[in-house]
Amino acid sequence: MGIVIENLPKLLDPIPGGSKLINTVDYIANWARSNSIWPLVYGTSCCAIEMMSTGSSKHDWARFGWEVARATPRQADLIILAGTIVEKMADPLRRLYDQMPAPKYVIAMGACTISGGPFFYDNYSVVKGADHIIPVDVYIPGCPPRPEALLYGIMELQKIMCKETIRETRKKEINAVPSIDAMTVAVQEWEAELKGKEAGLKEEAKKYKEENPDYKPFKQPRKIVEKFEKVERVIHPEVGKPKTELFEKLLNQFPFLTLYDKEETNMETVEAMKADEILDFILPTDQYIPVINFVKKNADFQMDLLLVVTAVDWLDHYDVIVQLTSTTFKHKLFFRTPIPKDDDIPEIESLSQIYPTANWHERETYDFFGIDFKGHPDLRRIFLWEGFEGYPLRKDFKHPEIIARPY
Amino acid sequence: MSIQNIDLPPSVTIEKADDESEEYIMNIGPQHPSTHGVLRLVAKLDGEYIKEIVPVLGYIHRGIEKMGESQTYVQYIHLTDRMDYLASHFNNLCICLTIEKAMDIGVPERAEYIRVIVCELQRIESHLLWWGVLGMDLGAITAFLYGFREREMIADIFDELCGARLTTNYFRPGGSFADIPDTFIPRVNSFLDQMEKMIVEYDTLLTNNIILHERTKGVGILSKEKAVAFGCTGPFARGSGVDFDLRKHAPYSVYDRFDFDVPLGKVGDSFDRYMVRMLEIRESIKIIKQAIKGLPDGPYRSKELGSYKLPKGSYYAEVETPRGIFSNYMVATGKSQNPYRVKNRSPGFSNLSVMNELAKGLKLADLITIMSTMDLVIPDIDR
Amino acid sequence: MAKEELAKNSLEALKNADQHPVGDVIRKYFSENFENEFIAHVFSSSSNILLSILVMTAFAGGTASFLIWLERKVCARMQVRLGPTRVGPFGLLQSIADGIKLVFKEMLRPKGADPFIFYLAPFLPATASFLVLAVIPFDKNIQVVDIDVGALYVIAVSGFGIFGILLGGWASNSKYSLLGAMRAGAQMISYEISVGLGLLLIVMLSGETSLREIVFSQYGTVNNWWIFKLPIFGIIAFILFLISSTAELNRGPFDLPEAESELSAGFHTEYSGITFSMFFLAEFINMFIAGAIGTTFFLGGFLPFTIGIEGFDNIMFMIPGWAWFFAKTYFIIFLFMWFRWSFPRPRIDQLMNLEWKFMLPANLLNIIIAGAFLTLGWLL
Repeated sequence: MGIVIENLPKLLDPIPGGSKLINTVDYIANWARSNSIWPLVYGTSCCAIEMMSTGSSKHDWARFGWEVARATPRQADLIILAGTIVEKMADPLRRLYDQMPAPKYVIAMGACTISGGPFFYDNYSVVKGADHIIPVDVYIPGCPPRPEALLYGIMELQKIMCKETIRETRKKEINAVPSIDAMTVAVQEWEAELKGKEAGLKEEAKKYKEENPDYKPFKQPRKIVEKFEKVERVIHPEVGKPKTELFEKLLNQFPFLTLYDKEETNMETVEAMKADEILDFILPTDQYIPVINFVKKNADFQMDLLLVVTAVDWLDHYDVIVQLTSTTFKHKLFFRTPIPKDDDIPEIESLSQIYPTANWHERETYDFFGIDFKGHPDLRRIFLWEGFEGYPLRKDFKHPEIIARPY
Repeated sequence: MSIQNIDLPPSVTIEKADDESEEYIMNIGPQHPSTHGVLRLVAKLDGEYIKEIVPVLGYIHRGIEKMGESQTYVQYIHLTDRMDYLASHFNNLCICLTIEKAMDIGVPERAEYIRVIVCELQRIESHLLWWGVLGMDLGAITAFLYGFREREMIADIFDELCGARLTTNYFRPGGSFADIPDTFIPRVNSFLDQMEKMIVEYDTLLTNNIILHERTKGVGILSKEKAVAFGCTGPFARGSGVDFDLRKHAPYSVYDRFDFDVPLGKVGDSFDRYMVRMLEIRESIKIIKQAIKGLPDGPYRSKELGSYKLPKGSYYAEVETPRGIFSNYMVATGKSQNPYRVKNRSPGFSNLSVMNELAKGLKLADLITIMSTMDLVIPDIDR
Repeated sequence: MAKEELAKNSLEALKNADQHPVGDVIRKYFSENFENEFIAHVFSSSSNILLSILVMTAFAGGTASFLIWLERKVCARMQVRLGPTRVGPFGLLQSIADGIKLVFKEMLRPKGADPFIFYLAPFLPATASFLVLAVIPFDKNIQVVDIDVGALYVIAVSGFGIFGILLGGWASNSKYSLLGAMRAGAQMISYEISVGLGLLLIVMLSGETSLREIVFSQYGTVNNWWIFKLPIFGIIAFILFLISSTAELNRGPFDLPEAESELSAGFHTEYSGITFSMFFLAEFINMFIAGAIGTTFFLGGFLPFTIGIEGFDNIMFMIPGWAWFFAKTYFIIFLFMWFRWSFPRPRIDQLMNLEWKFMLPANLLNIIIAGAFLTLGWLL
């Protein structure tokens, strides 16, 4: 009994105010809470893998009683924001947080959830700091933080929990300060600070020199940089049918085709191409479907696998790029179709009837460039949400959230 | 934008309830334990039967391609780490291959071999994670821990190799930023020994388990034609018998020097896809062993350039990641240090698009099986 | 000396053991010490029940928290981990911490949920489990009540728990919960038949329905336990019982109603705080009960492991009956845990097929053949 009475003040000290009895209840509650933190299974990207690693045999967060990861927010105490939060995810995240029963805690794991991290600059979709959405208790830096860091982070959270009292809930607020370019601000601050210091430093240096006439400034030894030789590139032999054969056959069928980025469209140009270069044809808009249909169905080409449909914004026009390969011969062919930029929504035929996979690729291109694919069964935005203004990969895209890189 | 507002294609409609059936819409994700991140599936169900599945993407769309336009070519490498974080070496390699192609940079022998060893290690790492998560999705949680046990060994090897466990950023145009440490080869060897023992244990635990057979055999059959039509690649398509592996059929780096097989499935069901990946682990072990045997001495990279400014044109490179064909398409103007346009083909994006075709008519639990055998990495799909 | 020992351990002696030694002491104490006749009367007549309720409630709570700890430790050991280590020695206080935390958590009720049923539902499974505990014979003289129809009582009352799950899933106003509840309903009602038939076999063979008498019917060497007494049906019946009770417990690999990877948390998706902890508690008490029933019916309950050699048997008899009971029960519980952490989960239709197309016919066949043997007098 004596030991208890002696140690009681020490145990209860971190808990603010209140009588000994209530503080004892607080102590028990805090002890239970901090030793039974059930995290929500929530991971968006890379950090989630490190979070899983923390649960793995080597690191084993079960030692602390945290392994009861709940899939439903109703039974969770802690939400570990493992991974980038984007604007589209902000709403579900807020909802998840609201669904958790109090007392609830949040750990921002990784640079992305702290500030946007590597996605801070030039980005239109990433939330610059998860604390703009929900209040965060502990921040764990890293990209991604190691499992040990996560363990340490949760132990820090335990310390916070031990200082709480059940009489009143700790006020938690979301970060209302708008995201600013922290780098520029910091650089400015450093410069201002240095200016004040410099004058003083110069005087100090002068004084020191006078006092120690033998002083020689320290010279940094030159770092020895390893020198490397230039190496000749090994070009792998051509795969599938030879380019010359493909070129000849295609030109016979469609003589109007021209090679992109080459001065002349003839056999010599093709023969001069390197083995790993790929034939890249320019298609007129009206011949877009027939040519692609031909190379898919023709027995000599059999371009049955569509790799990519995408576009490039050339300021005056768009190039819609189609990359095809053949699973039988393994050769590749690229096609590009320039479409003029006079309309707000440029148009081109849809490939989704020929290649089912084009469905999503065209939706992506529509999402990024606002190119309308005529005949597409379901042309909606795929990554961004309805109501997002503008098309992000257009060169003239402007978004209020974008912070330009200062260097 | 609200979560209530279910963003459905116009084709999906709910039929009114009658005596026979009552259809309803269930929202799976974006926060759900088995969507492997933040994929959202809107499922039209009739009891437990799936009538239609509509994947809703973009909950981790980070605009990496747009960011690439304001980063230098070499800076862009680090962003690709964060795309398919289970195959970061592959993504890095793909960017490096593009730059090498464009600027005619050669790679020394040793660097090529290092690339192969590291990439194949990561293929095993990725498949191990997939195997564990598949076990967890099917209810065998122990599999998850076992998969991670061996995965941690590879993570430690990478840690020593380049200082990061996940976002590695190790390759550079012309080689890699550092040589392998002295302990690298012994550690890889000891890992391979361990792995060969453990893969037998995996088979005992899961592969030969009758419940796993029941859950995966005949579930989500993907025909060869459909796989090609929907642009599926990687083990997912090879499970359906699509014989297309870039390492074999369009070799990059020095893959043409190694002797290995491309495992193919016959039926195209979930079990075939499972087996293809399990066999691929064995093939990767084979490749690493050969590569370690043939690892030459010499420089680990070629001459460093002051700046990597690609000449005008558009450049393409592709690699076979654990999930399929990852390609990088860069458009350069020749005037600036930044790419004019970057486009990355992520294998998961095309693989996922076939989801509705596979899951239609099956039960909710089968959806989880199919999703597991797809081996999705959502940030790779959303970019 | 040996004779005396044997006489002490004879069937008659065991059967005649005082059923309520503690209760009797209290009764005696009150009737002697209280002059007020009324109080003495009340205490003396109700002491057994009061005491039993107190002890059983404490026991149930203790068992559940111990089992939760054990489960976490066992699973950790199977997965090359350590499990809880930080709270108390070997992390023993881990489930206490969890319990206290859940009590202090906020209780949430989703919009549109039926408040009365939503809050009532979690207490039904727990109640059912508490009720079953009443008839379990822990030792020759430790049993709350020895009902003559104990076997039927167990089957009837344990079936009551499904109401809680069904109502809870329905009242939550959530699709995940509803699907989980429907799965639970289908699964538990189906597998109850198999459990019942398995127990019925023993009831038929022993001719007894009182659990205490069933234990005594296995008196003798280990060969007299029902699992070994029958040529092979005993083992078959025991295995069928294990599988079906795993399914009835909603435990992995048959944890479809919760199916974390499919339905988030199944029927208790929307439950938080203490309401969730009641489901949790019921699950683990049920696991204990399933182990206890298996022990009572198949493994000779509190009877010791004897092989017919006098010296050995005497040593075995020295170990108290409750120790045997708990040892056997925890062995079965360990089997349940072993299953859970080894197997993947089947699909709902496969689970139903397993019951209706395999387990039920096998059970019926088992009963018929055993009945034929019994009639022809080959067995007993």
